[in-house]
This record gives sequence, structure tokens and C-alpha cells, in this order.
Amino acid sequence: MRGRRLIALAVAVALAGLLAWVLPPPAAFAQVNRDNARCLRCHADQTGTVVANREEKSLRVTSATFNSSVHSLLDCTSCHPGFTASDHSADQTQGWWREATLHSCGNCHAGQFSMYSGSFHGKLVMDEQSTSAPTCGACHGSHAIINVDSPAFRPSILPMCEQCHGSRSQSYLDTYHGKAFILGNESTAVCTDCHGTHRILPRSDPASTISNEHIVATCAACHPGANRSFTTYQVHLDPSRPGKSFTAFTSWLIYTGYALLIGLVFAFGGVHSVLYFYRGWKEGAYRRVEH
Amino acid sequence: MSSIDATLTPERSGAPARAAEEAASFRLEYRRFGAFHRWMHFLTMVSFTVLVFTGMPLRYKTTGWAQLSMDLIGGVQTAAILHRMAALVTVFYFACEVLFIVLYVVQRRGPLWGPGTITPGRKDWQDMRAMFRWFLGRGPHPRFDRFTYWEKFDFWSLAAGTVIIGGTGFMMWYPVQTAKILPGFVLNWALVIHSSEALLAVGVIFLFVHFFSAHLKPGSFPMDKVIFDGSLPVDDYARERPIEYERRVQEGTLGRVLIERRRGFATKAAMVLWYAITIIALIGALGFGVFLVWVALSWIGVL
Repeated sequence: MRGRRLIALAVAVALAGLLAWVLPPPAAFAQVNRDNARCLRCHADQTGTVVANREEKSLRVTSATFNSSVHSLLDCTSCHPGFTASDHSADQTQGWWREATLHSCGNCHAGQFSMYSGSFHGKLVMDEQSTSAPTCGACHGSHAIINVDSPAFRPSILPMCEQCHGSRSQSYLDTYHGKAFILGNESTAVCTDCHGTHRILPRSDPASTISNEHIVATCAACHPGANRSFTTYQVHLDPSRPGKSFTAFTSWLIYTGYALLIGLVFAFGGVHSVLYFYRGWKEGAYRRVEH
Repeated sequence: MSSIDATLTPERSGAPARAAEEAASFRLEYRRFGAFHRWMHFLTMVSFTVLVFTGMPLRYKTTGWAQLSMDLIGGVQTAAILHRMAALVTVFYFACEVLFIVLYVVQRRGPLWGPGTITPGRKDWQDMRAMFRWFLGRGPHPRFDRFTYWEKFDFWSLAAGTVIIGGTGFMMWYPVQTAKILPGFVLNWALVIHSSEALLAVGVIFLFVHFFSAHLKPGSFPMDKVIFDGSLPVDDYARERPIEYERRVQEGTLGRVLIERRRGFATKAAMVLWYAITIIALIGALGFGVFLVWVALSWIGVL
């Protein structure tokens, strides 16, 4: 009995393998080369631009760029639905943008799309029709999408968020994480480590990673043992400006006090040194060489 | 030199030929710093330099020179490890120095204040005013005791700075533990204090007080080697620190600080080290000078 079952299993596996080898690959994959080649034939040399999301975007897509993308095995029409080689007018291109940048991605990445839909950014785009809030492509790119776990992605996070959150980025750079990150320590916390990725929510929302309910756990992810007191550390603080909060204001007081002290000591030391040197020079102290 | 030799070591002046031969390789010198203080200075020098070069780029993180410094060091992670290692050296020498002071006090090795001590006093204020008069050609050069006012400032500002920078540094090294004892926002203060106090210390050491007095001031140029050598010719000391010299002559304690110094190959070999240190100091001072010009130009908006 036992032997027969094994033989049956082996035959089934062999048959499945034979079928997989003989049958054509799934439709989407099979058509890749032929259809994309037709698109790339024109777009590799395109010098024109198209306005999408009030931004001028280049029409140029080379096969080298597209092949570097994690989506290189997808059809162009997977993300540009309804486009055909003979007909993709300017109107169609304009109308395509919102649809494609959200739902085309959502077709495959349903989980991420669902998180994004409920996020601060997602609500701005989908409920308030914002054209400046980021859609998928704003962070991930379009024709050269790379894996978010690849080494090249992490350094790109700060410049990405900075496009809209400039002042927050600057104040981040004035505290420990930012200083280490900008000088090349990518293991330190950057925007997304505290704020999340697809489901970024304002601090007032209890579900936010930085809400009162979750902030301790968020810090403790990197700092095991972090308590409530630990979370009163301000990760966005520019001490050269008098902020409104107690921490920001007192930090500015310390910063300014030190600036005055440094100025005073350097000025006095500078005058003392210059005068000392001047008198020594007059007395000929620098002319003879001693022992 | 010869007159002092004759009065202090009369037995030597009686053997003319041998004495002249010996004088070429031996010299009677004034011992200013013992082995302990020379080692303390050496550890301070090495750890301070490492701390400055691995730490300062963080204050000016967005500049090209900060990035270049980190590249030269071998990355910010390497710099972080070196910075903490140098911090541990600092803890070690500071603990040694505290122990020295405690033993000095407990064993009553000498006075705690007054002439000859490193404690600031009325004479330092008077000396400083006299120096400014001398700078402008309106008075004689003051006569210094064992430590000048700038040496006292150098010592005590470094001591205070070590406590302030060290304390805030360890807070940031162990932020979770710190937040268990103190409110977390103290870590914001710690960073501002650590960074500002560091800039103050760099200015004091790299240019205005320490490097100036050790390398540039009249009599020291190009380098005052006494902290490495431990001793210097008696004549030089008597001229530089007449008050202490005369006190020792009066008290009859001069013999305690006179040593026979052999000037042989080791001394010549050490010259290489001294000049290497001088060059590093020069680079540090020049770098800091350029940095000050850069800060000034940035402030007035040229850069």
C-alpha cells in the first residue's frame, strides 16, 4: 500500500512538471517582451514631456531603466490600462494619471493600498482630491521601482519626505538620528521608522505610530526598555530657534547662552594671543632658536 | 647655566676635564612634571584629538568637510566607536587625576591654595592686568609663579569641560537608562550642551589658550617640550617662573627638583615625536582658524 502511494505521488509530480514545461507561461508574462518592445521602441528616444499631476514628466523610458525595475516582467499596460500602441492621446494620458497611480498598484498590492487608503496621505488624495499629496509613485518611483529592502532605497527616504516636510526634515537633522543618518549611518531611525509607511497618521489619531498609545512601543522597537519618560525626547528640534514648547525654548536658551560664552571666550583669547604675539615679535622673541 | 651648576653642585666644578666631557651628555635640569603628569597629558592629548575629529563633523553634519572627515575616518559608525573608546580613555585619566587630588589633600602633600598651587588667586588677576600693560609697552613683564593664569584657566576649564561633556555624553550613550532616572527631554539639553561645550573646548585648546601658549607664545615657539620631557634647563626655568625658583632657593628645596638629564639617542629620537605632535597641532590650529573664518563668513552671509 505504502509503496503504491509513493509511486502515485511520483507520477503526479512528474506529470505536473511535464505540463508546466509544455504549457505556455501565464498570459501576462508571455506577452511582456513583444508588447513592451513595441512601447519602448518609441519611448526610448522620446524627448517630449507630458503634464501629469501638474508636473512635467519625461516621456522617455529606456529598456535599461525599465529592466532595472522590480516590475520589469510586467506589461506596460498593467499600469497604463487602456493604452494601445496606435492610440494614447494627450487626453487619455491626462485622465490616466490618478487612476493608474492608485488603482493600478492596488490591483496587485491590495494590502498596501488598503493601508494607504486609510492614511493621512491617502485621505488627502482620495477624499479631498489633493493633487500635491503623495500617491504610490511619489515614494516608489514609476519606471525604475526598486525593492524597499535594497540598500539603495533607504538613503532616498529623507529626500522623499523632505519635498513636502522641509522644516521637519531640517529639525530632524539637528538631533541625534538626523546627524548620524545624513553622515551615512543608515541603521539609525529615519522618517518611516517612527511615522510608518503606507499608513501614516497624525499624532492625534490613536492608531498612529506616534500617538500617546503607541509612541512607547515605537521607540522601544530600537531602544529596548524605553519608557514614557524616554518619549518626551524631541526628535525634531532646532535649538537655534526659540520654539514654543518647554523643551524647545529651554534648548534655545542653552544654545544661545553657550553662543554668547563662546563668543566672549574666543574674543578675549584672540585679543590676548594677538597682543602677546605682537609684543613677543617686538622684543625679538621669535628670532633666536633656543635649545 | 654654568654659574647655577657651580653653586648647586660644587663637587662637580672641581673636576675640569671629566666635567666638561660629562656636561656634553649630562645636564642638570629642573624637573617641572613627573611621570604621572606627563602620562596624564599624553592620554588627554590623544583622546581629546580623537574626540574632536570624530565628534565635530556631527555639529556641522550638512557641510562637505563633515562628510569628508567621516569618509577619512572610515564612516560614521567607525567614528562612533572611536569616539566612545576615546571617551573611556578620558574617564580613565580623569579618575586618575581625581585620585591624585584626593591623595594630595588626604596625605597633605602640599598647600591647597596660595603661592605655587594651581588654585586661582588674587595674583592671577594682577598678573593678567600686568601682562596687558606689558603687551602695550606700559609696564614690566610680571614675574610668574609655578603656574601662570592661562595655565590655571587651561587646567580648570578642561576639568569642568570634561565633567560637562562627559556627563552629557554618557547620557546620550545610554539614553534609555537616562530616561529612567531623568525626564527624556533632558536628552535634548544634553545634545545642545555636549555640542556647544565641545566647540568651546576646541577653541580653548586648539587655538586661543593651549596651542598658543605651548607652540606660539614668545619663548615656546615652535614647541614647549617640557610636558613631554619633564624637565628643562634651570636657567630657562628661573627666567620663566622666577617666583617659584626663588622660593625654592630660599626654602632650600631646589635640590628636590633638580635631575641629571642624559641627552642621548633617545632624546634625539623623541624629537621626531615632538615635531610630529607639533605638526598635528599646527594642522589642528590651522583647521580651526579656517573653520572660524568659515563661520564668520557664513554669519555675514558671504557663503
